[in-house]
Amino acid sequence: MKQKLLLAAFLMGLADVAMAQQPQTQTMSETERAAREESASFIFTESQLEEDADAGQEVIQINSSANLYTSNVGYLFSPMRFKYRAFDQKYSDVYMNGVMVNSAENNRFSFSTIGGMNDATRSIDYASPFESNTFGMAALGGSNNYNFRASNYAAGHKVTLSALNRNYTARAMYTFGTGLSQKGWAFFGTVGYRWANMETANVQGTFYNSVAYFLSLQKVFNDKHSLNIATWGNPSERAQQGASTDEAYWLANNYFYNPYWGYQNGKKRNSRVVHAFEPSLLLTWDYKINDNTKLITSAYGKYAMDSRTRLQYNNSENPKPDYWKNFPSYNYDVWGTTDGSNNDLNAWQESYDYWRADMANRQIQWDKLYYANQQMNKVGGDAAYYLLARHNDHLALGLGSTLCWANKRDRKFQIGIQLASNKGMHYQTISDMLGAEYLHNTNNYAVGTYAGSDPRVQYDLNRPNGTVGVGDRFGYDFNIMVQKATLWAQYTREKGISYNFISAKIGGTQMWRDGKMKHGLFADNSYGKSGTARFLDGGFKMGTNLNLGKGHVLGFGVGYMTYAPQAFSSYGGSAFQAPEMNNNFIDGLKVEHMLSAEIAYALNLSWMRMNLTGYFAHGTRMNEWQNYYYDDVNSFTYVSMTGVEKDYYGVELGIRFKVTSAFSIDLIGSMADAKYTKNTDVSYLLSTQGTVTTETLYNKGMREASTPLTVGSIGLNYNVRGWWFNLKGNYYDRIYLSYSPSLRYESTLIRSGKVDNDGSLIIPEQAKGHGGFMLDGSIGHQFRVGGHPLSVNLMATNILNNRKLVSGGFEQSRSNYTTDQSTGEVATTRTYNFQKNPMKFYVQGFNFMLNLNYRF
Amino acid sequence: MKRRVTTYILHSFILATAMMAVACMDGKWETPDMTNPPYGNNNIIETDTQLVTIDSLKQRYKTVISGSSMEKITDDLQLKAIVIGNDLGGNIYKQICIQDSTGAMIVGINGTGLFPLLPVGQEILINLKDLYIGGYGQQAQLGDEYNGSIGRMSTDKWEQHVRILPGFDVAAIDTLDFDISLDKDRYAGYLVRLTNVQVGDADGKTTFAPEYKAGTTLTYNGSTNGYVHHTLGNISMDKLVLRTSTYAKFAELVIPTHPITIYGIATRYRDTWQILIRTEEDIKDN
Repeated sequence: MKQKLLLAAFLMGLADVAMAQQPQTQTMSETERAAREESASFIFTESQLEEDADAGQEVIQINSSANLYTSNVGYLFSPMRFKYRAFDQKYSDVYMNGVMVNSAENNRFSFSTIGGMNDATRSIDYASPFESNTFGMAALGGSNNYNFRASNYAAGHKVTLSALNRNYTARAMYTFGTGLSQKGWAFFGTVGYRWANMETANVQGTFYNSVAYFLSLQKVFNDKHSLNIATWGNPSERAQQGASTDEAYWLANNYFYNPYWGYQNGKKRNSRVVHAFEPSLLLTWDYKINDNTKLITSAYGKYAMDSRTRLQYNNSENPKPDYWKNFPSYNYDVWGTTDGSNNDLNAWQESYDYWRADMANRQIQWDKLYYANQQMNKVGGDAAYYLLARHNDHLALGLGSTLCWANKRDRKFQIGIQLASNKGMHYQTISDMLGAEYLHNTNNYAVGTYAGSDPRVQYDLNRPNGTVGVGDRFGYDFNIMVQKATLWAQYTREKGISYNFISAKIGGTQMWRDGKMKHGLFADNSYGKSGTARFLDGGFKMGTNLNLGKGHVLGFGVGYMTYAPQAFSSYGGSAFQAPEMNNNFIDGLKVEHMLSAEIAYALNLSWMRMNLTGYFAHGTRMNEWQNYYYDDVNSFTYVSMTGVEKDYYGVELGIRFKVTSAFSIDLIGSMADAKYTKNTDVSYLLSTQGTVTTETLYNKGMREASTPLTVGSIGLNYNVRGWWFNLKGNYYDRIYLSYSPSLRYESTLIRSGKVDNDGSLIIPEQAKGHGGFMLDGSIGHQFRVGGHPLSVNLMATNILNNRKLVSGGFEQSRSNYTTDQSTGEVATTRTYNFQKNPMKFYVQGFNFMLNLNYRF
Repeated sequence: MKRRVTTYILHSFILATAMMAVACMDGKWETPDMTNPPYGNNNIIETDTQLVTIDSLKQRYKTVISGSSMEKITDDLQLKAIVIGNDLGGNIYKQICIQDSTGAMIVGINGTGLFPLLPVGQEILINLKDLYIGGYGQQAQLGDEYNGSIGRMSTDKWEQHVRILPGFDVAAIDTLDFDISLDKDRYAGYLVRLTNVQVGDADGKTTFAPEYKAGTTLTYNGSTNGYVHHTLGNISMDKLVLRTSTYAKFAELVIPTHPITIYGIATRYRDTWQILIRTEEDIKDN
């Protein structure tokens, strides 16, 4: 008994470390909270997320229970992939038992790696950007710390079964926990499976196949020491959905038209299949030094394997069914933006009829690709088409140790270190030769600029003209090494009506590239190690909350942070100029600076709760990086932007009216802006030649994309006799699509005649998506079956089936003309208008999830 | 209690392993059956009464070809030929070249990346009805009407009019030894060989088709428009040129300073022979 008490004291001691600067009120029913979390983790991640650089989406898990706005937005607006304050995900920090787990390489955490283990990931300590906490300095976009200690989970068994029509159609999970035994042991485990096949998936041509497991074992040795080991992973295989143009959606008569799949031998096959498995291990030592002081130390390791296939063509025609040349509007200028001299109405009609005649016509024609390859076999030629896999594997190690001190009254102090190391292994392999017998590891894009016999067309001079087959590495192969060390501290003090905190950190980052191929265009600086770049970053944050009495609380916060550049992200972002080709760092690479401030007002009355927050952030010396085909130079380009400046600001409002004890009304909304405040220096490297061009990018005024900058919601919540209902009407607007830099280069603007009479450049407006209204609702109840609780909930999203809402997308970077390479002037005008045809993702129509869970 | 925990751990590992054994969904994909090629129109049935040779077709439309005009083919005619040139090397663009035992001609198709569909050596059957025939600079060509003269047909139309036959034989292509005196009406469009011939402008640096630069002494077709002409042997450029696109894959190959053997398609532009090298492989050291 004594031992049990000691254990309880120990655990309470840990719990007491968690603190919030504002009082928490009105907790949700457990069923409701569970339902929200289930739903949120569904809508996040998966096929539309983590797409290519242009379509990249982010998930922000901001949820500070103290604030009505922040605790609701992540879940509420997730169908539109709302980004909190329009911040990139690299500005949100994720911790597990106190160790930071954002990738040291790209500063992001991938939430899909903990998908399917919802019961394990439910216990989270959130900190909004100006909220003190026990695990780290709150990040610009918020931080959260998962508690994976086995004793933290409830004892018992739980089975969850779900049916839905989203990225997957069925899910089953089994969870069990022992709670803490008298001898100090605790064990928790969960396994889950998520599934959809091509016939049941909501998006045509996709499937989903994912197993998840999470196991945690804890031993509490005495009232001072405890050790925990946790391991998890979710080996997954899933097929993706691609963005397309409105013309394609119209021709297919389907807002969920997916260009990534097609028929092979009469069977549906998707060209973009993701295979991911990131087995992770977390060791935690909790040490209660004395009643006032605790030391929490966690070591984290993971080996991540991630590959994504895509169809590649080799000197042949692009096999994308929605390739621009395949559209009716390739033949006829439906926009009236050209002189119409190339209009061919018959060809428009022929193409239209072809698209409409048969679904197979508007999808990938795999059989034809096999045919083409077999033909090439006959002449001993290289594969015309093949399926490649881009691999981003990682070995990540981290160590976080935090010393927490608190006196029993008014002061708390934490100091901690975070160490991280990441070895990113980035390479490309052949996934399927599609019936071809031969393929050489040569850079066909450079052939033409150089003769085929020129060594500069070799991808790997160490193995010139090497042939490659399934599983072989080709094209590029490099490692990126990053090591980080951060020291941070935080002090909080309550004094009178004020609650104050100050925190600061300082860190060092070093990174280098290790090339595994000797690229023909960069024979001297692509193979082996690059130089090492080192960055010093850090900053401070401070804030105060004033309790003015009668439920009024006023808060202020200000911070200044610097960030080392992202070493490399396969979704865009790099400290290297063209990591697939050489060892060079970007010229003018700097540590990013970010000033941020917030003013918040909260009102707590018996019948009403309100949070009103205004925030501002200004970033300077920021770096961005992308790659794409740039028409005007006839080449794929690696594009780095330095000296980027951005403003983020807005107001956020959350109000809850408690009409009766059972009925409440929520009003949630924000008006935000997030935009470039000055034009940027851009330099791009041509993959066909290896040359770099530097010029000005006119991106001032461009906005953060693929998130609604205006959101508003009215929600009705009703709880009665164990039933709860809610209905939410959500409005979204100001949804921008990712701007295409190449359309706004100075040279492009001049070439395309975007100059007014005064000689000023005319900058194209950024493409936007359609906003609108969406109605969501849910209903739930907890029954008792066999003496145990059975929760049933049904969540319906987009009940009115509004299909016209755009959740994101990007402008096409190609030009409406061809360029004479010798003069640099426009050679011919194209009939097809790329700028009138941005790539878009539309929201899902009516969709639902039925969730049953049973505890025993 | 300890035993229970151990049992849980054991069970969970077994369960996790079992679930991980769930089969891959995107499994092995078999090569599709190619008995009926998935490219072209397999409904075109070879009919002896409709078959014509290239030479007889050219004879039939002699006036439109030599008059560089065009005409729609309205009769049920079929042509059986072998592909002798395509866009593999980037020098032939939106065209394929075909040949049979009697003659050769060009087919204009408004598409790129034709080479894997129609590789050199592939035997094809063309349903000529509703296609256009004409002369471009008197070079015989099949295609579609474009602004009153012979142009390219859409890829969709071409696919409706061509059938891929089982025959495939590169060796069966008759390569003609080029002679300046060859009859253009008969032989234009043939695959030819020029043995021991010196390409002009060979200074050890100049490439076959460098991008245009102001002040160049090279002969560009037009001013800056994409094609470079070189002499072959001592024959004047109004009679014979080596014509190479700046978009050709071998455009940046340095012209050998010694005589070489060249294979290529001998097209005509009115009274000038224009030799089109297909790929770098067509350039052989003697």
